[in-house]
Amino acid sequence: MNGLLVPVLMILFAPLIGGLVYGFERIIKARMQRRIGPPLLQPFYDFLKLADKRKMIVHSTHAFLGIMHFVSLWFALAVLLLGGDLILVIFLHLLSTSLLILAGYSTRSIFSHLGANRTAISILAYEPVLILIAVSVFMLTGSFEVASIFSYSEPLLYKMPLAFIALLLILPIKLKKSPFDVAEAHQEITGGVELEFSGIFFEAIYTAKWLDYVFCYTLVYLFGANNPLLGIGLVIFVFLYLNALDNSSARVNYKQMLRFSLIVALPIAFINLLLTILHLS
Amino acid sequence: MKLSSFRKKSPWILHYNAGGCNGCDIEILACLAPKYDIERFGMINTGNPKQSDILLVTGPVTKRSRERLVEIYAQMPEPKVVVSCGVCACTGGVFRGMYNCEGGIDQYIPVDVYVCGCGTRPEQIIDGVIQALAILEKKTKELEQSVRLKKEPVKEDTQLNRRNIAGEIIKTA
Repeated sequence: MNGLLVPVLMILFAPLIGGLVYGFERIIKARMQRRIGPPLLQPFYDFLKLADKRKMIVHSTHAFLGIMHFVSLWFALAVLLLGGDLILVIFLHLLSTSLLILAGYSTRSIFSHLGANRTAISILAYEPVLILIAVSVFMLTGSFEVASIFSYSEPLLYKMPLAFIALLLILPIKLKKSPFDVAEAHQEITGGVELEFSGIFFEAIYTAKWLDYVFCYTLVYLFGANNPLLGIGLVIFVFLYLNALDNSSARVNYKQMLRFSLIVALPIAFINLLLTILHLS
Repeated sequence: MKLSSFRKKSPWILHYNAGGCNGCDIEILACLAPKYDIERFGMINTGNPKQSDILLVTGPVTKRSRERLVEIYAQMPEPKVVVSCGVCACTGGVFRGMYNCEGGIDQYIPVDVYVCGCGTRPEQIIDGVIQALAILEKKTKELEQSVRLKKEPVKEDTQLNRRNIAGEIIKTA
Protein backbone atom coordinates (compact mmCIF):
# COMPACT_ATOMS: atom_id res chain seq x y z
CA MET A 1 0.00 0.00 0.00
CA ASN A 2 2.84 2.32 0.89
CA GLY A 3 4.52 1.65 -2.46
CA LEU A 4 1.40 2.78 -4.29
CA LEU A 5 1.13 6.14 -2.57
CA VAL A 6 3.90 7.94 -4.46
CA PRO A 7 2.76 6.86 -7.97
CA VAL A 8 -0.89 7.68 -7.22
CA LEU A 9 0.02 11.12 -5.90
CA MET A 10 2.24 11.68 -8.93
CA ILE A 11 -0.59 10.69 -11.27
CA LEU A 12 -3.07 12.98 -9.53
CA PHE A 13 -0.70 15.94 -9.50
CA ALA A 14 0.93 15.17 -12.86
CA PRO A 15 -0.37 18.37 -14.55
CA LEU A 16 0.85 20.41 -11.57
CA ILE A 17 4.31 18.83 -11.66
CA GLY A 18 4.50 19.21 -15.42
CA GLY A 19 3.43 22.85 -15.17
CA LEU A 20 6.15 23.56 -12.64
CA VAL A 21 8.70 21.80 -14.86
CA TYR A 22 7.56 23.92 -17.80
CA GLY A 23 7.70 27.13 -15.76
CA PHE A 24 11.16 26.26 -14.50
CA GLU A 25 12.22 25.44 -18.03
CA ARG A 26 11.10 28.85 -19.27
CA ILE A 27 13.19 30.53 -16.56
CA ILE A 28 16.23 28.37 -17.35
CA LYS A 29 15.87 29.12 -21.05
CA ALA A 30 15.60 32.85 -20.34
CA ARG A 31 18.69 32.77 -18.11
CA MET A 32 20.59 30.94 -20.85
CA GLN A 33 19.72 33.86 -23.13
CA ARG A 34 20.64 36.40 -20.41
CA ARG A 35 17.03 37.41 -19.87
CA ILE A 36 15.14 37.55 -16.60
CA GLY A 37 12.32 35.35 -17.77
CA PRO A 38 8.74 34.86 -16.61
CA PRO A 39 7.77 33.91 -13.03
CA LEU A 40 7.77 30.23 -12.07
CA LEU A 41 3.97 30.01 -11.97
CA GLN A 42 3.60 31.54 -15.45
CA PRO A 43 2.11 28.36 -17.05
CA PHE A 44 -0.66 28.38 -14.43
CA TYR A 45 -1.38 32.07 -15.06
CA ASP A 46 -1.68 31.21 -18.76
CA PHE A 47 -3.96 28.32 -17.85
CA LEU A 48 -6.28 30.48 -15.74
CA LYS A 49 -6.33 33.25 -18.32
CA LEU A 50 -7.25 30.83 -21.10
CA ALA A 51 -10.17 29.59 -18.98
CA ASP A 52 -11.60 33.11 -19.08
CA LYS A 53 -11.63 33.53 -22.86
CA ARG A 54 -14.75 33.31 -24.99
CA LYS A 55 -15.29 29.77 -26.24
CA MET A 56 -14.66 29.36 -29.94
CA ILE A 57 -14.52 25.97 -31.62
CA VAL A 58 -14.07 24.93 -35.22
CA HIS A 59 -16.44 21.99 -34.80
CA SER A 60 -17.31 19.76 -31.88
CA THR A 61 -15.32 16.70 -33.04
CA HIS A 62 -12.18 18.81 -33.22
CA ALA A 63 -12.58 20.05 -29.65
CA PHE A 64 -13.50 16.53 -28.44
CA LEU A 65 -10.40 14.98 -30.04
CA GLY A 66 -8.26 17.64 -28.38
CA ILE A 67 -9.67 16.81 -24.96
CA MET A 68 -9.35 13.06 -25.61
CA HIS A 69 -5.70 13.63 -26.47
CA PHE A 70 -5.20 15.04 -22.99
CA VAL A 71 -7.20 12.28 -21.29
CA SER A 72 -5.47 9.40 -23.08
CA LEU A 73 -2.05 10.92 -22.43
CA TRP A 74 -2.88 11.12 -18.74
CA PHE A 75 -4.00 7.49 -18.90
CA ALA A 76 -0.71 6.45 -20.55
CA LEU A 77 1.17 8.29 -17.82
CA ALA A 78 -0.91 6.54 -15.16
CA VAL A 79 -0.08 3.12 -16.62
CA LEU A 80 3.60 4.04 -16.72
CA LEU A 81 3.71 5.32 -13.15
CA LEU A 82 1.76 2.36 -11.78
CA GLY A 83 4.36 0.02 -13.25
CA GLY A 84 2.37 -1.39 -16.15
CA ASP A 85 3.44 -2.88 -19.45
CA LEU A 86 6.07 -0.76 -21.25
CA ILE A 87 4.78 -1.70 -24.71
CA LEU A 88 1.24 -0.78 -23.61
CA VAL A 89 2.51 2.57 -22.35
CA ILE A 90 4.23 3.32 -25.65
CA PHE A 91 1.13 2.43 -27.65
CA LEU A 92 -1.17 4.44 -25.38
CA HIS A 93 1.12 7.38 -25.95
CA LEU A 94 0.90 6.67 -29.67
CA LEU A 95 -2.90 6.59 -29.38
CA SER A 96 -2.98 10.01 -27.74
CA THR A 97 -0.70 11.47 -30.42
CA SER A 98 -2.80 9.93 -33.17
CA LEU A 99 -5.92 11.54 -31.67
CA LEU A 100 -4.10 14.85 -31.98
CA ILE A 101 -3.25 14.05 -35.59
CA LEU A 102 -6.91 13.27 -36.31
CA ALA A 103 -7.84 16.60 -34.75
CA GLY A 104 -5.31 18.28 -37.00
CA TYR A 105 -6.77 16.68 -40.12
CA SER A 106 -10.37 17.39 -39.14
CA THR A 107 -10.13 21.11 -39.83
CA ARG A 108 -9.69 22.84 -43.15
CA SER A 109 -6.72 24.91 -42.04
CA ILE A 110 -3.58 24.30 -44.08
CA PHE A 111 -1.25 24.90 -41.11
CA SER A 112 -3.22 22.39 -39.09
CA HIS A 113 -2.82 19.81 -41.86
CA LEU A 114 0.90 20.53 -42.13
CA GLY A 115 1.26 20.15 -38.38
CA ALA A 116 -0.61 16.84 -38.45
CA ASN A 117 1.62 15.58 -41.29
CA ARG A 118 4.72 16.54 -39.39
CA THR A 119 3.48 15.04 -36.13
CA ALA A 120 2.89 11.77 -38.01
CA ILE A 121 6.43 11.93 -39.40
CA SER A 122 7.88 12.60 -35.96
CA ILE A 123 6.06 9.52 -34.66
CA LEU A 124 7.77 7.59 -37.44
CA ALA A 125 11.06 9.00 -36.19
CA TYR A 126 10.84 8.23 -32.46
CA GLU A 127 8.47 5.29 -32.13
CA PRO A 128 10.74 2.49 -33.50
CA VAL A 129 13.58 3.60 -31.21
CA LEU A 130 11.31 3.57 -28.17
CA ILE A 131 10.01 0.11 -29.00
CA LEU A 132 13.56 -1.22 -29.50
CA ILE A 133 14.48 0.20 -26.10
CA ALA A 134 11.45 -1.52 -24.57
CA VAL A 135 12.44 -4.82 -26.24
CA SER A 136 15.98 -4.45 -24.85
CA VAL A 137 14.47 -3.96 -21.41
CA PHE A 138 12.48 -7.16 -21.96
CA MET A 139 15.63 -9.04 -22.98
CA LEU A 140 17.43 -7.80 -19.88
CA THR A 141 14.79 -8.22 -17.21
CA GLY A 142 12.60 -10.88 -18.80
CA SER A 143 9.44 -8.82 -18.54
CA PHE A 144 7.83 -5.80 -20.19
CA GLU A 145 6.53 -4.64 -16.82
CA VAL A 146 7.95 -1.31 -15.63
CA ALA A 147 7.91 -2.74 -12.11
CA SER A 148 10.47 -5.37 -13.16
CA ILE A 149 12.99 -2.59 -13.90
CA PHE A 150 12.68 -1.47 -10.29
CA SER A 151 13.19 -5.00 -8.98
CA TYR A 152 16.21 -5.66 -11.28
CA SER A 153 19.54 -5.78 -9.47
CA GLU A 154 21.36 -3.01 -11.33
CA PRO A 155 20.25 0.34 -12.85
CA LEU A 156 19.53 0.11 -16.57
CA LEU A 157 22.10 2.81 -17.33
CA TYR A 158 25.01 0.52 -16.44
CA LYS A 159 23.55 -2.41 -18.35
CA MET A 160 22.59 -0.60 -21.57
CA PRO A 161 24.15 2.88 -21.90
CA LEU A 162 23.59 2.85 -25.66
CA ALA A 163 19.83 2.77 -25.11
CA PHE A 164 20.17 5.90 -22.99
CA ILE A 165 22.08 7.62 -25.80
CA ALA A 166 19.36 6.61 -28.28
CA LEU A 167 16.74 8.01 -25.88
CA LEU A 168 18.69 11.27 -25.64
CA LEU A 169 18.66 11.54 -29.42
CA ILE A 170 14.90 11.06 -29.77
CA LEU A 171 13.73 13.06 -26.74
CA PRO A 172 13.95 16.41 -28.61
CA ILE A 173 11.65 14.93 -31.28
CA LYS A 174 9.19 13.69 -28.66
CA LEU A 175 9.15 16.91 -26.64
CA LYS A 176 9.16 19.06 -29.81
CA LYS A 177 12.38 20.84 -29.00
CA SER A 178 14.79 22.44 -31.40
CA PRO A 179 16.43 21.17 -33.64
CA PHE A 180 13.60 18.65 -34.11
CA ASP A 181 10.58 20.89 -33.46
CA VAL A 182 9.18 20.67 -36.99
CA ALA A 183 5.83 19.43 -35.63
CA GLU A 184 5.01 22.72 -33.91
CA ALA A 185 7.39 25.13 -35.58
CA HIS A 186 6.07 28.36 -34.11
CA GLN A 187 7.75 30.70 -36.56
CA GLU A 188 6.90 28.55 -39.54
CA ILE A 189 3.48 26.93 -39.13
CA THR A 190 2.48 28.76 -35.91
CA GLY A 191 2.08 25.71 -33.73
CA GLY A 192 0.82 23.16 -36.26
CA VAL A 193 -2.02 21.05 -34.85
CA GLU A 194 -2.62 23.33 -31.87
CA LEU A 195 -3.31 26.24 -34.22
CA GLU A 196 -7.08 25.85 -34.43
CA PHE A 197 -7.65 25.33 -30.71
CA SER A 198 -8.60 28.35 -28.67
CA GLY A 199 -9.61 29.29 -25.16
CA ILE A 200 -10.58 26.46 -22.87
CA PHE A 201 -10.00 23.82 -25.55
CA PHE A 202 -6.45 24.99 -26.12
CA GLU A 203 -5.90 24.33 -22.43
CA ALA A 204 -6.22 20.60 -23.09
CA ILE A 205 -3.40 20.76 -25.62
CA TYR A 206 -1.36 23.12 -23.44
CA THR A 207 -1.71 20.89 -20.38
CA ALA A 208 -1.01 17.76 -22.43
CA LYS A 209 2.39 19.30 -23.17
CA TRP A 210 3.08 19.45 -19.44
CA LEU A 211 2.04 15.80 -19.08
CA ASP A 212 4.45 14.96 -21.88
CA TYR A 213 7.26 16.43 -19.79
CA VAL A 214 6.35 14.19 -16.87
CA PHE A 215 6.07 11.20 -19.22
CA CYS A 216 9.48 11.75 -20.82
CA TYR A 217 11.29 12.50 -17.57
CA THR A 218 9.78 9.36 -16.05
CA LEU A 219 11.18 7.39 -18.99
CA VAL A 220 14.57 8.95 -18.22
CA TYR A 221 14.20 8.14 -14.53
CA LEU A 222 13.66 4.45 -15.39
CA PHE A 223 17.31 4.27 -16.43
CA GLY A 224 18.34 4.87 -12.85
CA ALA A 225 15.35 3.14 -11.34
CA ASN A 226 16.81 1.25 -8.37
CA ASN A 227 19.09 4.10 -7.43
CA PRO A 228 16.95 7.21 -6.79
CA LEU A 229 19.98 9.52 -6.63
CA LEU A 230 21.18 8.32 -10.01
CA GLY A 231 17.66 8.63 -11.43
CA ILE A 232 17.24 12.22 -10.25
CA GLY A 233 20.73 13.05 -11.48
CA LEU A 234 19.84 11.67 -14.91
CA VAL A 235 16.61 13.70 -14.99
CA ILE A 236 18.48 16.92 -14.13
CA PHE A 237 21.16 16.15 -16.71
CA VAL A 238 18.55 15.50 -19.43
CA PHE A 239 16.67 18.68 -18.45
CA LEU A 240 19.80 20.82 -18.86
CA TYR A 241 20.80 18.97 -22.02
CA LEU A 242 17.39 19.50 -23.65
CA ASN A 243 17.30 23.22 -22.82
CA ALA A 244 20.87 23.83 -23.92
CA LEU A 245 20.14 22.00 -27.16
CA ASP A 246 16.89 23.90 -27.65
CA ASN A 247 18.62 27.25 -27.20
CA SER A 248 21.68 26.55 -29.28
CA SER A 249 20.36 24.85 -32.39
CA ALA A 250 18.28 25.81 -35.40
CA ARG A 251 15.39 23.80 -36.79
CA VAL A 252 16.16 21.12 -39.36
CA ASN A 253 13.50 20.11 -41.87
CA TYR A 254 11.45 16.97 -41.49
CA LYS A 255 13.50 14.92 -43.97
CA GLN A 256 16.71 15.63 -42.09
CA MET A 257 14.98 14.80 -38.82
CA LEU A 258 13.68 11.47 -40.16
CA ARG A 259 17.04 10.63 -41.73
CA PHE A 260 18.88 11.42 -38.49
CA SER A 261 16.51 9.35 -36.43
CA LEU A 262 16.46 6.32 -38.73
CA ILE A 263 20.20 6.37 -39.62
CA VAL A 264 21.72 7.39 -36.28
CA ALA A 265 19.30 6.77 -33.40
CA LEU A 266 17.67 3.57 -34.66
CA PRO A 267 20.95 1.68 -35.32
CA ILE A 268 22.23 2.71 -31.87
CA ALA A 269 19.09 1.26 -30.31
CA PHE A 270 19.46 -1.86 -32.46
CA ILE A 271 23.12 -2.38 -31.53
CA ASN A 272 22.06 -1.97 -27.93
CA LEU A 273 19.47 -4.71 -28.39
CA LEU A 274 22.04 -7.05 -30.00
CA LEU A 275 24.58 -6.36 -27.27
CA THR A 276 21.98 -7.04 -24.60
CA ILE A 277 21.09 -10.40 -26.20
CA LEU A 278 24.76 -11.36 -26.72
CA HIS A 279 25.67 -10.30 -23.23
CA LEU A 280 22.95 -12.48 -21.76
CA SER A 281 23.73 -15.63 -23.73
CA MET B 1 -9.53 35.74 -6.69
CA LYS B 2 -11.37 36.39 -9.93
CA LEU B 3 -10.29 34.79 -13.15
CA SER B 4 -10.13 38.16 -14.88
CA SER B 5 -7.24 39.23 -12.66
CA PHE B 6 -5.03 36.69 -14.42
CA ARG B 7 -5.48 38.40 -17.78
CA LYS B 8 -2.82 40.96 -17.08
CA LYS B 9 -0.41 38.28 -15.94
CA SER B 10 -0.27 36.43 -19.21
CA PRO B 11 -1.10 38.66 -22.16
CA TRP B 12 -0.28 36.92 -25.41
CA ILE B 13 0.57 39.23 -28.24
CA LEU B 14 -0.27 38.96 -31.90
CA HIS B 15 1.50 41.38 -34.15
CA TYR B 16 0.33 42.30 -37.61
CA ASN B 17 1.95 44.54 -40.15
CA ALA B 18 -0.76 46.27 -42.16
CA GLY B 19 1.56 47.50 -44.89
CA GLY B 20 4.07 49.52 -42.90
CA CYS B 21 7.78 50.05 -43.53
CA ASN B 22 8.79 47.36 -40.98
CA GLY B 23 10.39 49.92 -38.65
CA CYS B 24 7.85 49.50 -35.86
CA ASP B 25 7.89 45.72 -36.29
CA ILE B 26 11.61 45.64 -35.62
CA GLU B 27 10.99 47.65 -32.45
CA ILE B 28 8.25 45.21 -31.36
CA LEU B 29 10.64 42.30 -31.87
CA ALA B 30 13.29 44.25 -29.96
CA CYS B 31 10.93 44.18 -26.97
CA LEU B 32 11.25 40.38 -26.94
CA ALA B 33 15.03 40.47 -27.04
CA PRO B 34 17.16 40.31 -23.86
CA LYS B 35 17.43 44.09 -23.37
CA TYR B 36 13.73 44.74 -22.80
CA ASP B 37 12.55 41.12 -22.30
CA ILE B 38 8.78 41.51 -22.14
CA GLU B 39 8.52 37.77 -21.42
CA ARG B 40 9.17 38.67 -17.77
CA PHE B 41 5.60 40.04 -17.74
CA GLY B 42 4.41 36.74 -19.18
CA MET B 43 3.95 38.05 -22.70
CA ILE B 44 4.50 35.68 -25.57
CA ASN B 45 4.56 36.70 -29.20
CA THR B 46 2.17 34.11 -30.62
CA GLY B 47 1.58 34.00 -34.33
CA ASN B 48 -1.92 32.75 -33.76
CA PRO B 49 -4.98 35.00 -33.48
CA LYS B 50 -7.07 32.29 -31.84
CA GLN B 51 -4.91 32.21 -28.71
CA SER B 52 -3.86 35.83 -28.33
CA ASP B 53 -5.22 38.73 -26.26
CA ILE B 54 -3.47 41.81 -27.59
CA LEU B 55 -3.33 42.78 -31.25
CA LEU B 56 -0.40 45.03 -32.08
CA VAL B 57 -0.90 46.62 -35.48
CA THR B 58 1.72 48.60 -37.31
CA GLY B 59 1.55 50.44 -40.59
CA PRO B 60 -1.15 52.35 -42.43
CA VAL B 61 -3.90 50.04 -43.58
CA THR B 62 -3.34 49.56 -47.26
CA LYS B 63 -6.31 48.51 -49.31
CA ARG B 64 -4.72 45.10 -49.82
CA SER B 65 -4.25 44.40 -46.13
CA ARG B 66 -7.49 45.69 -44.65
CA GLU B 67 -9.47 42.50 -45.33
CA ARG B 68 -6.83 40.48 -43.51
CA LEU B 69 -6.74 42.94 -40.64
CA VAL B 70 -10.49 42.65 -40.09
CA GLU B 71 -10.34 38.87 -40.48
CA ILE B 72 -7.53 38.52 -37.92
CA TYR B 73 -9.41 40.79 -35.55
CA ALA B 74 -12.57 38.71 -35.92
CA GLN B 75 -10.66 35.48 -35.25
CA MET B 76 -9.42 36.64 -31.85
CA PRO B 77 -11.68 35.45 -29.03
CA GLU B 78 -12.87 38.07 -26.56
CA PRO B 79 -11.68 39.70 -24.32
CA LYS B 80 -9.17 41.39 -26.58
CA VAL B 81 -7.54 44.78 -26.98
CA VAL B 82 -5.99 46.49 -29.96
CA VAL B 83 -2.87 48.64 -29.71
CA SER B 84 -1.94 50.65 -32.77
CA CYS B 85 1.82 51.03 -32.89
CA GLY B 86 3.37 53.93 -34.70
CA VAL B 87 1.99 57.06 -36.23
CA CYS B 88 1.02 55.27 -39.46
CA ALA B 89 -1.30 52.90 -37.63
CA CYS B 90 -2.77 55.75 -35.55
CA THR B 91 -3.53 58.29 -38.27
CA GLY B 92 -1.97 57.15 -41.50
CA GLY B 93 1.20 59.14 -40.92
CA VAL B 94 3.09 60.20 -44.01
CA PHE B 95 0.88 57.93 -46.06
CA ARG B 96 -2.35 59.69 -45.11
CA GLY B 97 -4.37 60.67 -48.12
CA MET B 98 -2.46 58.55 -50.57
CA TYR B 99 -4.31 56.54 -53.19
CA ASN B 100 -3.57 53.12 -51.72
CA CYS B 101 -4.32 53.60 -48.04
CA GLU B 102 -6.57 55.42 -45.66
CA GLY B 103 -6.11 57.14 -42.34
CA GLY B 104 -5.24 54.64 -39.65
CA ILE B 105 -6.57 51.30 -38.46
CA ASP B 106 -9.41 52.76 -36.37
CA GLN B 107 -11.48 53.02 -39.53
CA TYR B 108 -11.90 49.25 -39.49
CA ILE B 109 -11.39 47.94 -35.98
CA PRO B 110 -11.91 49.55 -32.56
CA VAL B 111 -8.58 50.70 -31.15
CA ASP B 112 -7.98 50.89 -27.39
CA VAL B 113 -4.50 52.38 -27.11
CA TYR B 114 -2.66 54.60 -29.56
CA VAL B 115 1.14 54.53 -29.40
CA CYS B 116 2.69 57.32 -31.47
CA GLY B 117 6.20 57.70 -32.85
CA CYS B 118 7.97 56.89 -36.09
CA GLY B 119 9.11 54.32 -35.30
CA THR B 120 7.88 53.69 -31.80
CA ARG B 121 10.48 53.15 -29.15
CA PRO B 122 10.35 49.78 -27.37
CA GLU B 123 9.75 51.64 -24.08
CA GLN B 124 6.69 53.29 -25.62
CA ILE B 125 5.37 49.95 -26.87
CA ILE B 126 5.79 48.37 -23.44
CA ASP B 127 4.07 51.38 -21.87
CA GLY B 128 1.21 51.15 -24.36
CA VAL B 129 0.78 47.42 -23.76
CA ILE B 130 0.73 47.98 -19.98
CA GLN B 131 -2.02 50.59 -20.49
CA ALA B 132 -3.87 48.12 -22.70
CA LEU B 133 -3.72 45.53 -19.91
CA ALA B 134 -5.68 47.84 -17.61
CA ILE B 135 -8.36 48.05 -20.32
CA LEU B 136 -8.21 44.29 -20.91
CA GLU B 137 -8.97 43.57 -17.27
CA LYS B 138 -12.23 45.53 -17.44
CA LYS B 139 -13.44 43.99 -20.69
CA THR B 140 -16.10 41.30 -20.83
CA LYS B 141 -16.57 38.28 -22.99
CA GLU B 142 -19.21 40.07 -25.06
CA LEU B 143 -18.79 39.91 -28.80
CA GLU B 144 -16.99 42.94 -30.21
CA GLN B 145 -17.78 43.93 -33.75
CA SER B 146 -15.33 45.38 -36.18
CA VAL B 147 -16.56 48.45 -38.05
CA ARG B 148 -15.65 46.97 -41.35
CA LEU B 149 -15.66 49.54 -44.13
CA LYS B 150 -18.49 51.45 -42.49
CA LYS B 151 -16.67 54.75 -42.18
CA GLU B 152 -15.99 56.98 -45.13
CA PRO B 153 -12.36 56.80 -46.21
CA VAL B 154 -10.19 59.85 -45.65
CA LYS B 155 -10.19 61.90 -48.83
CA GLU B 156 -9.11 65.37 -47.70
CA ASP B 157 -6.18 66.07 -45.46
CA THR B 158 -6.06 69.16 -43.28
CA GLN B 159 -2.35 69.64 -43.73
CA LEU B 160 -1.24 68.58 -47.16
CA ASN B 161 -2.94 67.10 -50.13
CA ARG B 162 -0.35 64.80 -51.56
CA ARG B 163 -2.45 63.87 -54.51
CA ASN B 164 -2.51 67.48 -55.71
CA ILE B 165 1.21 67.89 -55.11
CA ALA B 166 1.91 64.72 -57.07
CA GLY B 167 -0.33 66.00 -59.83
CA GLU B 168 1.50 69.32 -59.99
CA ILE B 169 4.86 67.58 -60.13
CA ILE B 170 3.65 65.51 -63.03
CA LYS B 171 2.31 68.65 -64.79
CA THR B 172 5.56 70.55 -64.40
CA ALA B 173 7.69 67.62 -65.47
